[in-house]
Amino acid sequence: MRHHIENRIYHVEILPPKQDTEKLHEDLELFTTKYNRVKESGYCACITDNAMGLLAFQGPEVIEELCLKVEPSQVMIHLNTFHTKANLHEILDTCVAQGIKYLLIITGDGSDRLPKLTPADVGATDVQSVTSVELLRYIAKQYPGKFTMGVAFNPYEPQEHEFAKMERKMAAGAEFVVTQPIIEKNAIVDELLRKYPDVPVIIEAWMSKKLYLLSDAVGYEIPEDTEFDPIKTLKQIHRDYPDCGVYLSLLGFKTQYHLISDTWVRE
Amino acid sequence: MRVNDDKQKNDYSNVWVIAEVLSGKIQPVTHELAGTARMLADKRGSEVWIVLLGNNVSEQAGTLFAYGADKVLVADDGSMANFNDEIEARVLVRMIDKYKPEIVICGATTRGRALIPRVAVVTDSGLTADCTELDIDPENGDLLQTRPAFGGNIMATIRCSDHRPQMSTVRPRVMKAPDPDPGRTGEIITENVTVSDKIDIKRILEVFHSSEAAVNLADAQIIIAGGRAMKGPEGFDILRAFAARVGGAVGASRAAVDAGWIPYAHQVGQTGQTVQTKVYIACGISGQIQHLVGMQSCDLIIAIDKNPDTPMMQMADIAVTGDIFEIVPALTAAIPKL
Amino acid sequence: MKIVVCIKQVPATNDAKIDPETKRIIREGLKAILNPFDTYAVEEAVQLRERFGGEVIVLSMGPEKAALSIREAVSVGADRGVLLSDRAFGGSDTWATSYALANAIRKIGDVDLVICGKQAVDGDTAQVGPGIAAHLDWKQATYVMAVEDASDDSIVVKRMHEDGYDICELKLPAVVTVVKDINTPRIPTLRGRLASEKIEVPVWKPADIGADLSKIGLDGSPTRVVRTAPPPPRNTVTKKISGTSAECADALIKELRLRSIL
Repeated sequence: MRHHIENRIYHVEILPPKQDTEKLHEDLELFTTKYNRVKESGYCACITDNAMGLLAFQGPEVIEELCLKVEPSQVMIHLNTFHTKANLHEILDTCVAQGIKYLLIITGDGSDRLPKLTPADVGATDVQSVTSVELLRYIAKQYPGKFTMGVAFNPYEPQEHEFAKMERKMAAGAEFVVTQPIIEKNAIVDELLRKYPDVPVIIEAWMSKKLYLLSDAVGYEIPEDTEFDPIKTLKQIHRDYPDCGVYLSLLGFKTQYHLISDTWVRE
Repeated sequence: MRVNDDKQKNDYSNVWVIAEVLSGKIQPVTHELAGTARMLADKRGSEVWIVLLGNNVSEQAGTLFAYGADKVLVADDGSMANFNDEIEARVLVRMIDKYKPEIVICGATTRGRALIPRVAVVTDSGLTADCTELDIDPENGDLLQTRPAFGGNIMATIRCSDHRPQMSTVRPRVMKAPDPDPGRTGEIITENVTVSDKIDIKRILEVFHSSEAAVNLADAQIIIAGGRAMKGPEGFDILRAFAARVGGAVGASRAAVDAGWIPYAHQVGQTGQTVQTKVYIACGISGQIQHLVGMQSCDLIIAIDKNPDTPMMQMADIAVTGDIFEIVPALTAAIPKL
Repeated sequence: MKIVVCIKQVPATNDAKIDPETKRIIREGLKAILNPFDTYAVEEAVQLRERFGGEVIVLSMGPEKAALSIREAVSVGADRGVLLSDRAFGGSDTWATSYALANAIRKIGDVDLVICGKQAVDGDTAQVGPGIAAHLDWKQATYVMAVEDASDDSIVVKRMHEDGYDICELKLPAVVTVVKDINTPRIPTLRGRLASEKIEVPVWKPADIGADLSKIGLDGSPTRVVRTAPPPPRNTVTKKISGTSAECADALIKELRLRSIL
């Protein structure tokens, strides 16, 4: 991850096609286009895992079925706790076969359609419910040396809880951190950087003009008509956090992609 | 049976309740439905009959008159010691053909829901499940059955005009049991279970009775849910104690599940389960929209929190400002064991 | 074992958004999904075929787009599917629905086992499974939480009850309805999904299944919905209780007694 920060390699989030799509082939083509574009630009494609609990196809299986080329430093797969043990191993085995190295381990969003790993599945006897901590530990044990795993950090959750969780995540083997979207300098993110000076931190930038969609994440209502300039904000994030990487969510491939070629400026 | 005119309709009379028998004992839902049946029968000027099927249940038949029954129809046989739906269905179909009830009500329990739909098909009757209200149409005497549909978001009223009997199932604790009147008496009619009833039936190999019925969120009448304020997995013990006392279930907000304090199966909310229970008690749950979506159709919402101004406290029907760790145990202690 | 799984395509009630004014769920525009309870039935059938060999056929009654749910079942392992679709089936209550499905099962022929989900999340009646058993005069077992064993002519299942469980043996052919505890449904893979797009789903009409027209659709339904209404509006007044913990507990108990909860 240090490599990405030093070389100004953006992390670009791509969502795989949803299972309930009525135009699967179009969606697969669109995914391929985005994935290849990100690869050609030298960026890292970050593929989500049933984001928001909505059933989608898995990044590794899409890459495999469509025979997409994998450059290990240019792919990051999200992986959450909402899988059966068998399915978890299928995904991890596919990652190994495809040469995928970077995983972002999160607890994730469930739904009534999604199964969930049980503590027994991952050999965790001390918890009631499997979180990213137990999953990370399990993968590190089952696939030693195969993956570089990162975790999420949420500056909008109560600090004490969140930093306590981060301690446990680090102890379990996390090697990098991706934050929730921030739109300005954030004191809690600053605290994270102070506490873990040697851990690569990747700041998530919100690239959609619809700032109000972030209301759920930040925990307070953002008015729908709030003016927001994602590109301007992105440039400011680089200035505020020169030693951090950046993760772009909701990037408009048609409207914004060409604009990010010169946003990562170092003073 | 399809009834083509009033004359055929009038062949059918009386309101029947199918008694719920579990572990050899008549269950409270039977009394609740007897109360409802009495109300319906009074409007129709007819009688309430309770049907008691099982093994060694005859001596309990007499207890049913106190709840409004005029007659108790008993079929007592070793073959019905455990729940054998095919036998019970055959016996019940025969009773219905013989005595022609106008209305048949049964508890919407695992047994009721296995038995009554089968009977309804064979007797060509209309069946409405999970009714929350039953009444008689004053114009024509038909049974009006009201039930929630579409996940509880509409109330549908259903009628069965051209078929008799009209059948309904009702969940336990929806209707209120009448105060028993020990002075009431009635007639017991015995029905035999024949050899042909028992042909080719399922063999019950093993029966296990659990001392504590595990209640899951979907079926619970009362849910007590905890959030971040429970401070850890042990905090949920006081909720469990309350739930056990009232025969309810324990729920949780996403924060508690994400913290690993309670299994995901208990999570209520957008990325967990949606519940429509009678009573939802939210303990230290702030009421983020993702949680509210999962429980806001509950009949009675009670919130307990140190902070009186959370969205949940504002939305609740009853908002209790105080310490969950003192109030909930006090509640549990004050409620007599069911 | 020749297994038929009866499935239903339903509106995604869980995904519905709340109308901010009425505080009720907005019904319009909901996606159509495979009834969540049916995913357990499909999974059980596929697992039984993996254990005992045979064929899994998915059967559904609904509009033409219900074929998508049939394909979804194929994408997780069902061998093929059949759709009953015709205006004449419209408006069916559970009696008429189970009648039509029973006829279709007869037409499929030589079926050993029918598996249904516990209930459909739109109707919530849980009546169709036993209804099918009654129309076919087959054995039934409801609330099945495990299939312990099966042979050519019988099946041993564990049934869930409020007071525990039992284990019973039924002669085949039989109908079982299953609960969520029975298994963990597999999620469709991209490969499975792509394969399911290639299969043909035949559409059967009443004549194809020898259905008596007076027993299907509205005509065949003994029950009719005569009215729908929104539930009583949510009470907007909050009763506030505060004081010492003992006072709060007392006040709360009083309230619960007043409202006949306790």
